[in-house]
Amino acid sequence: MALRTPVRTGDPTGGPAARRERRERRPRPSATGARIWTWLTLPGTVWMSVFFVASLLLVAAISFGTTDELGDPRFGTNLGNLRALADPAYRDVMVRSLGYALLTSVICLLVAYPVAYAVALHAGRFKNALIAAIVVPFFANYLVRMYGWSVLLSDDGPVLRVLRAVGLAGAHTKILNTGFGVIAGLVYGFVVFMIIPLYAAMERMDTSLIEAGRDLYGGPLRTFLFVTVPATRQGAGAGVVLVFLPAMGDFVSAQFMGGPNQIMIGNLIQDKFFEGQDWPLGSALTMALMAVLLIAMFGYLRRARKDEAEASR
Amino acid sequence: MVVLFSFNAQKSLTVFKGFSLRWYEAFFHDNVLLGSLGMSLEVSLVAMAGSVVLGVALALGLVRNKGRLGTYAGLIMMVPLITPEIVTGVASLLLFKGLGITLNTGTVMIAEITFSISYVTVILRSRVAALNPEVEEAAMDLGATRWQALRLVTLPALLPAILASAVLIFALVFDDFVLAYFTTGVDPQPLAVRIYSAIRFGVEPTINAVGTLMLAGSITLIGLALAIPRLFGRRGGLDLISGE
Repeated sequence: MALRTPVRTGDPTGGPAARRERRERRPRPSATGARIWTWLTLPGTVWMSVFFVASLLLVAAISFGTTDELGDPRFGTNLGNLRALADPAYRDVMVRSLGYALLTSVICLLVAYPVAYAVALHAGRFKNALIAAIVVPFFANYLVRMYGWSVLLSDDGPVLRVLRAVGLAGAHTKILNTGFGVIAGLVYGFVVFMIIPLYAAMERMDTSLIEAGRDLYGGPLRTFLFVTVPATRQGAGAGVVLVFLPAMGDFVSAQFMGGPNQIMIGNLIQDKFFEGQDWPLGSALTMALMAVLLIAMFGYLRRARKDEAEASR
Repeated sequence: MVVLFSFNAQKSLTVFKGFSLRWYEAFFHDNVLLGSLGMSLEVSLVAMAGSVVLGVALALGLVRNKGRLGTYAGLIMMVPLITPEIVTGVASLLLFKGLGITLNTGTVMIAEITFSISYVTVILRSRVAALNPEVEEAAMDLGATRWQALRLVTLPALLPAILASAVLIFALVFDDFVLAYFTTGVDPQPLAVRIYSAIRFGVEPTINAVGTLMLAGSITLIGLALAIPRLFGRRGGLDLISGE
């Protein structure tokens, strides 16, 4: 049990030099030694290949399929489902989902940034307790939270009653069944995914940089813009991805907080699989969603790599 | 909000009329909900065990396996992390239907394991990479076989991270709705799916009680996940965020 604390090699950051050093020092693995790593890798790889990769390929295949009289999916070479994606009705939903998800990411960033900033840099020794107090309520079940939120924002719920009392809302102002309501739901649902990486980035930030900015006669605003913001950009980027991905695929918020004019792509997919029984079309929609996300992720990763390359220069 | 109304004496969801435990009592007398709770616990436990075994093995293999298999495995490990649950749900549903498998507790377990392996692997991989391979080699110089070195040296060193990821997976799976919704049979249904139907078709205050109990459970688990590495006297385990 003395080996619980593994000894680290020279460079704990595992920079290129340390990695090279480690590789050179390690003796060539014997044939039997290498085989054990293959045997360890195989079960998980096979599992993921069957239940993840193969099933995704099946979704792609079914999206070219048709349904028989019973509504069961059949394989085929039908392009109708993919063509349907260009149908204005579906295209609008796609565009709306993208808009909602992007707005949600931006609002989450605007909400989470000051919170993370205040806690990480100004809460002193209470910061761990404080961030825990902020994050813990988000561990309640997502559905239950979304439901509670919809009660709070309902037409005669406490939020609107207060807003009416102070004159910020008219008698007919609604939050539920509007796009704003759906976005409010998504923000509440996923803002914690923004707070955590931002908080981590700010905690790691070298606060002497801020002092240096002040010493160099940067005002608070300039210091913030040219020191704090660039130092936390990676955290913000990670947060945007962590919020955008689930927001784009969500269907609960639109269902609880929105009306028929606020449905998102997730609602369409759910409908095709559980109510409409048009699995091929549902599969085509799923593929479209996946394609949008892959493109977005690809763009983000390229950007992040460029940032990293610049930072290391 | 939900917590508050779970203690409401009246059935109203907007007016609070005094403290009461009647909805908790109702929950513990509701056989359907208790059945769902049982199923959710079962699914979470199996998914936890399955994904930890597969995920830890994969993490060990991936770090040391630089061949083509390692590259492929490393790639398909990352994709689930950027796939929204609804896509995984649709894919699993189609696969089970395609293979002619009736949806039941087992299908939920399989889908949840698939969803969880990536998390375990990502958490464990950085820990494995931080280990010094020389320690293992020293054990083998002292006469241990490769397998013994792994079991007696490497795994104990990884234990805190393994336990932490196990607890995390349990909490994630227990709370998961989307995947469970797509892969569950009709009866029994996981707790989250029951909550969903309950909310959609008229809410019973019992649901507030269930929600509060689940929150208490999640907090305990997350606290445990964070505390485990500390109990073992060293930092680390849940470095998901910093990715170090």
